[in-house]
Amino acid sequence: MSNTLSLNIKCQRHSFKLSINQLINLDGILGILGHSGSGKTTLLRSISGLNKECSGIIKFNDKVLMDTKLKQFIASEKRQISMVFQDARLFPHLSVHENLLFAAKRCNKPKLNVDDIIELTELSALIYKPVTQISSGEKQRVALARAILSEPKLLLLDEPLSALDNKSKIALLALLKKVNQRLKLPMIYVSHHLEELQQLADDLLTLNKGEVSHYGKIHQVIHQLNHTELIKQQTSLSLPICAIDKKYSLLSLQLNEQQKIQLPYLQATNLKHGDVIRCTIFANDISISINEPIKSSIVNKLQATLVDIIQVDHQVLLTLQCGNQSFFANISAFSFDRLKLVKQQQVYMQFKASAVHTYNSFTC
Amino acid sequence: MIDLSPDNLALLTTLQMAFVSTVILMIIGTPLAWALAKMKSRLKVLIEAIVALPLVLPPTVLGFYLLIAFSPQSLPGQIWQQVTGQQLAFSFSAIVIGSIIYSLPFVVQPLQKSFEQLGDDLLEAGSVLNAGPIDRFFNIILPMTKASFITAASLAFAHTVGEFGVVLMIGGNIPGETRVLSMALFDHVEAFNYQQAHILAASLMISALILLSIIYLLNRQPSARNKKIVDKTSSCS
Repeated sequence: MSNTLSLNIKCQRHSFKLSINQLINLDGILGILGHSGSGKTTLLRSISGLNKECSGIIKFNDKVLMDTKLKQFIASEKRQISMVFQDARLFPHLSVHENLLFAAKRCNKPKLNVDDIIELTELSALIYKPVTQISSGEKQRVALARAILSEPKLLLLDEPLSALDNKSKIALLALLKKVNQRLKLPMIYVSHHLEELQQLADDLLTLNKGEVSHYGKIHQVIHQLNHTELIKQQTSLSLPICAIDKKYSLLSLQLNEQQKIQLPYLQATNLKHGDVIRCTIFANDISISINEPIKSSIVNKLQATLVDIIQVDHQVLLTLQCGNQSFFANISAFSFDRLKLVKQQQVYMQFKASAVHTYNSFTC
Repeated sequence: MIDLSPDNLALLTTLQMAFVSTVILMIIGTPLAWALAKMKSRLKVLIEAIVALPLVLPPTVLGFYLLIAFSPQSLPGQIWQQVTGQQLAFSFSAIVIGSIIYSLPFVVQPLQKSFEQLGDDLLEAGSVLNAGPIDRFFNIILPMTKASFITAASLAFAHTVGEFGVVLMIGGNIPGETRVLSMALFDHVEAFNYQQAHILAASLMISALILLSIIYLLNRQPSARNKKIVDKTSSCS
């Protein structure tokens, strides 16, 4: 059964205003992107019931969580919506294991086994340690395991990676993917780092000054955001691995029947043929040629159709269609005029393998 | 019934008064301290000042106004008499009520401070893990502020044991009812019975010293325990 979250809320506090009227499908992970002060955390706190200063209606799968006109408000402890905070918030008077049991004991009809979740979140080695003696990354893993053990119908994650080092970020991101796939637990993940959301989220909702500015499938929304100043212009892709060349440390992704994209293969990632990976190519890293480039050191060379041209000052954002996939390239107005580009023209895009970023390459 | 000496009777009355007062103080003081810790209204300052009043007022001032309030001519005294059928002034109940008011800041202030330091973060974490308000109180607030509860209860008990002015004003000096240790001591001094006075004074002083040492020991324990855990883990690794 599909999960839906219906929001029609308003929240006014001093100069800040949140105003959201949106129906959200929650079948995977919803990412929420926005600058600081855009209302991301206020929205999560309203959904969880921690923020009582909002007015309007919040429904989760037809269950009314809040309706201020009817004076209905379900307390956060009765919503079955758990939350992982930016700062873990583990109970310092309890050990790791006791923190997990705190959640498990308060679950009405427990279906999950504590030991299974300990294994899933790779906490076996830490289990009897006081929470004051574990690292920030480990604390967030415990916070995640604890939230899972409360067996929520919806899990909210409020910038859980923000206080972590790169290694811990990569590990926790992989863990979140694993948890989502294994438990089929709908999640809302808030961040102001697009690269985290690009790797994790199925859908993306963007907030700007307390209002929803975009909502839809992750890659689609990222491409829409290329026309705003919210992100660095880029092409966002999910493609399956079709070949691994260990000799040259190159990974090939199947773009369509004829075309492939190559990127560096990170030995430690343990990827295999058929795995779908998400990657990003920044618009500034793609160059355009009207003739087929021959004998170039640049490994990625794709024929595409120029479908859209947007000029802003001295930069031109080109939208190129390669089969069903859109690509975005940013070139100077000087180059654009020199090449005399027009819509529907066949061109060649070129970008280095190292210009294809996965989350690991962003953070390494 | 065992016949107790006047001093032992005073000791028993004192301990009874201190115990009952401390229990009631903890029951009243905890929600009051919580409300003050969470209050954002301007009234907070006024309520804090009222709670702290016994710290600066001479006990006799408080005792004087309580004596007036407890008399059968005033409303609180009349209500008490109608409900219980007994006079409030110069009764055991009067000295308990007086002690509660007089020792209230010793309970409210340490608890309020610890509740403020605890903040809302952990309680919110408990709340999204399905823990209701009572559950959060017993499983998060209480263990996290245990030391402050011990301090508050011990200070309330010790302060009540040593009370003199308020009890003298509202309790009179009725053996077995309102005659407490401090009054027995005063009586011995007035009668130049210095040996008995010495025994009572020294016993009170030693008991207070032992009680305060226990408070400091209990407040020191969590950090000492943590240190032991650190030592143990570092020796394992």
